[in-house]
Amino acid sequence: MKIVRAENVSYEYTKVVEIQGENVERKLMALDNINIDIEEGSFIAVLGHNGSGKSTFAKHINALITPSSGTVWVDGYDTKDDEQVWNIRQSAGMVFQNPDNQLVATIVEEDIAFGPENLGVEPAEIRKRVDSALQMVGMDGYQKNEPSKLSGGQKQRIAIAGILAMQPKCIVFDEPTAMLDPAGRKDVMETAHRLNKENGITIILITHYMDEAATADKVYVIDDGKIVLSGVPKEVFSQVDKMKGFGLDVPQVTETAYNLRKLGIDIPKDILTVDEMVGAICRLKSNI
Amino acid sequence: MITDITIGQYFPSDSPLHRLDARVKLVITLLYIVSLFLIKSFIGYAFVIIALAIVIKVSKVPFKFMVKGLKSLVFIIIFTALINVFTVKGGETLVTFWKLSITTEGVFFAIKMALRIILLIIGSSLLTLTTTPIKLTDGIEALLKPLSKIGVPAHDIAMMMTIALRFIPTLLDETDKIIKAQQARGADFDTGRLRDKARALVPILVPLFISAFRRADELAMAMESRCYNGGANRTRMNVMKVTSIDYTAIILFVVYWVVIIAMRIIL
Amino acid sequence: MSIEIKHLTHIYNPGTPFEHKALDDINLKIEDNEFICIIGHTGSGKSTLIQHLNALLVPESGEVLLNGENIYADRSKLKSVRQRVGLVFQYPEHQLFEMTVYKDVAYGPGNLGLPQEEIDSRVKNALETVGLDESVYDKSPFELSGGQRRRAAIAGVLAMEPEVLILDEPTAGLDPKGRDEILDSIKLMHEKRKIIVILVSHSMEDVAKLADRIIVLNDGKVALTGTPREVFSKVNELEKIGLAAPQITYVLSELAAKGYDVRTDIYTVAEATEELYKFLKQVK
Repeated sequence: MKIVRAENVSYEYTKVVEIQGENVERKLMALDNINIDIEEGSFIAVLGHNGSGKSTFAKHINALITPSSGTVWVDGYDTKDDEQVWNIRQSAGMVFQNPDNQLVATIVEEDIAFGPENLGVEPAEIRKRVDSALQMVGMDGYQKNEPSKLSGGQKQRIAIAGILAMQPKCIVFDEPTAMLDPAGRKDVMETAHRLNKENGITIILITHYMDEAATADKVYVIDDGKIVLSGVPKEVFSQVDKMKGFGLDVPQVTETAYNLRKLGIDIPKDILTVDEMVGAICRLKSNI
Repeated sequence: MITDITIGQYFPSDSPLHRLDARVKLVITLLYIVSLFLIKSFIGYAFVIIALAIVIKVSKVPFKFMVKGLKSLVFIIIFTALINVFTVKGGETLVTFWKLSITTEGVFFAIKMALRIILLIIGSSLLTLTTTPIKLTDGIEALLKPLSKIGVPAHDIAMMMTIALRFIPTLLDETDKIIKAQQARGADFDTGRLRDKARALVPILVPLFISAFRRADELAMAMESRCYNGGANRTRMNVMKVTSIDYTAIILFVVYWVVIIAMRIIL
Repeated sequence: MSIEIKHLTHIYNPGTPFEHKALDDINLKIEDNEFICIIGHTGSGKSTLIQHLNALLVPESGEVLLNGENIYADRSKLKSVRQRVGLVFQYPEHQLFEMTVYKDVAYGPGNLGLPQEEIDSRVKNALETVGLDESVYDKSPFELSGGQRRRAAIAGVLAMEPEVLILDEPTAGLDPKGRDEILDSIKLMHEKRKIIVILVSHSMEDVAKLADRIIVLNDGKVALTGTPREVFSKVNELEKIGLAAPQITYVLSELAAKGYDVRTDIYTVAEATEELYKFLKQVK
């Protein structure tokens, strides 16, 4: 079953630009004929530099914006159908970049309850969902804390719990770690992977960190509003020159392997991890 | 540091006063303030002071905390007292100099006025000290709800208050950071004439407003994506319930009022 | 210019239940023209430390010496200290406030009371150093891209012509391209202006590319200090305090652990390529 389907999606916006002292309206394409099918239960990453259109795509999944042409289906609902907008947002939750600007309440449990309250869920059921959501993100016991006193990583996990309490099938993470320190990044990424593995929630991760995308089932690279590369991480990252051309990084080991191949050494080009690199070098050694 | 500001601070504890329903506390506080204006005699003030002392004791909030709130208002209290001392005439004249004279009536009135303000501040700060902001907001929403029929947006007011409370610490932190950043660029907020000082605020206020707008924009989007659709069809996780503690409080407060009214008639 | 930090201790909220010792007897010496990177996880005291270097924070005890002179000795010299030690905070673009990029960069030198000609030349110079040309002078900061905005904000501090430039996580939130542009211009200004640069960062890869010397902070104390080569070869010690070496360093130290004869003090892709190539060829 496809949880998200984007068919020929384009999104146009107008921007006033100054050309030779005159203000001219220009039509720009934030998304240009995007086609993506996302399997329910998968973990996919959308990679691209700032301004590539990846966040615009994320907002389409949550019906925060609708395509200028083409169609996005989320859990079978067309995002252009105004009647279904609450169903869409309930099935596909969204976690944003700035942890401070998405928490509504002054107490953790009240914030997590915000979503289900909006959906009109019964009070006793909300209580149950709040507690289990906190458990799922590893923040049990923080019910009565003040969000403003938590670390960035903790705030972000509270935001995730707030989405979980709406019992979504899919969560879109829009650069969830861009403002976090390494420890916070690790917490959030581990939480995302756990929700995917243990609870079968589809994860769509929008990011510009290659190491985060490397752990996905499938990676899409967006550049200038178009999908320019897609495939499993090994396929995508092994194209070192292309990735760099799109303003993205590849793991150090992948780049080193790529350099060694250029020097004529027969090392696999799709190395992503330290273990793979060490293994490949050891094999090369013992083959001689 | 700017983050030291504490308005409507909550003091976490587990007293009967903390457990009291927010709606009941709100109504009691309002009526308590009204009662302060019905007292005429010093015996009446003595009664209120004793009653308040008992309530403070029950609340488990250290008295130190109460006084903290008064400190910043000392000036206002002294100012009102002084005005009354010189303007209220009656009784014996105690001192006269230049065109001003102080009378016994004036002194009594000034003392009563000061007492009234102090009792008002302590009484109402007791409300915020024993009620979490969120419960307070819920209480206000519940009390305003009947008015929504005549067009008062009870839910919206409550939501705005919640968001304001949520963002006060965030924006205070931010202000602190902006001040430091501009100081690092040589900004001087301490010296100069008033006009220079006012101008020195621009590099702080502009980034602060821009940041507030950006946050508001992002928050609105996050709320929308969490299916926020105004107050319609919304449920609440915590349902407010009036319990035996509330009934006890209401009965005791009725007794308080009976005494206040009786004193006004008799004395 | 040299900086000497002697027995610096800072305590937040002293005498309250929230008391927290953020810096605990820090002793450091930074020489002229050094490029220093400070690493450590959140709460290690990095931000507290750098805010002492231009006297934004006052320590509980200890002193900070600029060219041998204690910066806390004379309050009236505060402005000159802040001119000589420029501090760029995290997300500095959030502090931009003027209508145009040019005016914003001119704010710092303006506060120093310099003549207009001097201000103009400093602004132009600073913007050039961060790689922004004349076309942005009259633009509103909000018309720029995220990376450009940040560079404009850095220029605002640079225009004070500090002898020490401190940057708190200058690449936070930027994509790889924006990050590389910022780091390149920082490197360039270090080379051109011969000033001390102190860069606070979470990213080992960034630190590895730039630093002459790394200072690792943990729990308010200096845990490790040395050249990148020295620091990254101590993978175990880094891991103990919750930090990591660059990915490629692990490959070489694992190969060494398997008994192969490779260098373990390598932390860049170029060096690793060379070393591994030599290593693989040597047997053939």
